[in-house]
Formats: sequence, structure tokens, C-alpha cells
Amino acid sequence: MAGENPLHHFELHPLVHMHLGGLDISINKAVIAMWIGLALIFLFFMLVVKSGTQLIPGKLQSLAEVALEFIRGLVDEFIGEEGKKYFHFVAAIFFFIFACNVIGLVPGSYTMTSQLVVTGAFAVMIFVMTLFIGFARHGLHFLSILVPPGVPKIMIPFMVIVETISMLARPISLSVRLFANMTAGHTVLGVLFALTMSAPIWLGWLPFGFTVIINVLEVAIALIQAYIFATLTCVYIGDVIKLH
Amino acid sequence: MPQFEQVEVFTPLLFWSLISFAIFLFLLWKFAFPPILKALEDRQARIREDLKSAEDLKIEAEKMRQDFETQIKTAHEKASTIINLAQEEARKISEKTISDTQAKCRQLQRDAEHEILTTRNKLLKEIREYISVLTIASTEKILHRSLNDDDRARLVEESIDEVLSSMEEKA
Repeated sequence: MAGENPLHHFELHPLVHMHLGGLDISINKAVIAMWIGLALIFLFFMLVVKSGTQLIPGKLQSLAEVALEFIRGLVDEFIGEEGKKYFHFVAAIFFFIFACNVIGLVPGSYTMTSQLVVTGAFAVMIFVMTLFIGFARHGLHFLSILVPPGVPKIMIPFMVIVETISMLARPISLSVRLFANMTAGHTVLGVLFALTMSAPIWLGWLPFGFTVIINVLEVAIALIQAYIFATLTCVYIGDVIKLH
Repeated sequence: MPQFEQVEVFTPLLFWSLISFAIFLFLLWKFAFPPILKALEDRQARIREDLKSAEDLKIEAEKMRQDFETQIKTAHEKASTIINLAQEEARKISEKTISDTQAKCRQLQRDAEHEILTTRNKLLKEIREYISVLTIASTEKILHRSLNDDDRARLVEESIDEVLSSMEEKA
């Protein structure tokens, strides 16, 4: 029963069984929810584009422009002039996570970002990408990122160890933060909803009211988590470009 | 937690999330973002152009203001010169007018004196003639006889001298 285990709704079951060369790629509720979220985001932008972008924007165009300007601001601030070529990637990360976070708030849906394997995959992808950018840009000199400027020579070995741990912790913190926030939020919502369903009608409005409030709060958290993920992506890319 | 226990869903989740992200990134990059970013850049370019135009107009206005100030200064100088010249001219005209008027007055005075003198002489002549006639007639009446020419001339001269002396005393 859902009322007995608040983590029950995180369980996934294949809806369409698929295999690709021995690899299980079955489609489940999380995948479909993710596709719906991404489709809605993409359709929103296409609606703006198909309406015709104007010099004096309408409401939809303004919303789209504010979102893109916001991400461009992040990219410019943390990466700098070279950030332009990473803009599309960062924007896609932001909207992907935002779509997955928000679509999960629809009752009966699923939050893809509540799966650590997914957030971890994205965090590792970003980490590997930053390493690739660093080595491609600076060669072996990129390793100097492990030695902060102004450190006494005797401290260098120690600092290399500390910085390496710090670097390796980045994907872990990036993925766990998002996963934990989404899991916690949906668990709280699940518990409150279970309370609403199990309570008598005269008392049920109380947890239901909290469910509504927490749901609104979760929308804000969904946005904030997408913002944090995109910001940290920019910070990591900016670090490897500027080194220090 | 199901997220750690259901390892069999890891592969589909990883596969579809990464594939979906790649497609999502491609679609946004190719179709969604460019027109919106272009609109943003167009607007920024327009604002930049407008600002530049405003700046140019401001510089032009400043230049025009300086030109106007120079022109006004020049005009003031010219006006001042014209006023000085006009004042000088007016002074000269005034002096000339006064001088001419004075000369005219003097001329009029001379003419008047001359006319007075002429009139006076004419009157004196008329008086002399009248006195001579009157004197002869009076004397002849008193004496009941005609006078010769010498007596007439003498009496006339005496009467005239007396009348004239009397007139001069009165005058």
C-alpha cells in the first residue's frame, strides 16, 4: 500500500519491454514522464518561435527571453567571454532538470531526477566534460588546477591530495544534492498525501492543505535545484577554463 | 530505497535519460534557441544603435550649442560695435544739427536786424516827407504868405531835427 511506505512511489516497473543488443532499455513511467516534461518545454519554445519573434516581445516571448537571458547571465558570469559556446549545453541542462523536477509534481507522474543513477550520470558527464575541456585547452598544465596559487612548496603534495578529493567530490555533491532534494520533497508529499487519504474527512483537510503548500514549495525547489545544477556546471567549466 | 534496490531499471534510466538529453539538446540548439537568441541580439543591437545615435545626437547638439554660443557672442560684439557707431553718428548728427540751428538763428537774427533797419530808414524817410509838408503848410498858414525855397528848406530841416530828436529821446 502506498499509505504504508512513502517510498513506494519511487518504484519503477517496465511498461514497454525493449532490448538493444542485450541491453535492457525498457520504457517505464519515469521515462514517459521525462519525455512529457521535455516535450512541454520544447513545445513552449517552439510555440514562441512559431508565433514569430518580435522586436517588442509578447508574454510568451518575454518569458522565453527572460529564461534564456537568465542562463546567459550565469554563463557570462561564471565562464566569461568563452561561455557562449557552452550556453546551449548549460541551457539544455537547466531545462532538462527543471522539466524532470516539475513534471514529477503532477500526481501519478514520476521525477526522473529522484534517481541517483540519473543525477549521477549527468554529474559524471559534466565532470568528464570539464576534464576534457581542461586538458584540451591547457594540456598537462591543466593539472596545476590541483595547486592553488600562493601555496608554499612544502604544502603542495598535501594540497594536491586535498584538491583531488575536492575535484572528485564535485560530481558526488552535484548528483546527491539533486537526488536528495527531489527524493525528500516527494517523500514528504507522499507522506502528507497518505495522511490525507487515511484521515477522516473532518481532519483530512489539514494534511491536504499542507500537501498543497508543500507542492507549491516543491515547484520553487524544482526551479532552485535546476538553477543550482546549471550554476555549478558553469562554475566547473569556468574553473577549468580559467584554472584559478 | 527503491532508487538503490531496483538495479534492473538503472540501464533503461541511464540510456533514455542520456539519449533524451542529447536529442533535447539538439532540438533546442537547432530549432528553439536560435530565433529567440537572434531576437535578443537584434534588440540588443537596436538598443546599442539607438544609444549610439543618441550619443551622436548629444555630441551634435553640444557642437550646435557651442556654435550658437559663438554666434551669439559674435552677434553681441557686432551689436555692440553697431551701437557704438550709431551713438557716435548720433552725436555727430546732434552736434551738426545744433551747429546748423545756431547758424540759422544767427542768420535769422541778422536778417531781422537788417529788415528792422530798412523799415526804420523807410519810416524815417516817410516821416521826414510828412513833416516837411506839414511844416511848410503850417508855417504858410501862420504867416499868410508863401515862403521861398531857402526858407522852406531851413524850416523843414529844423522841424525834422526837432522831431527826430524828440523821437530819439522817447526811444
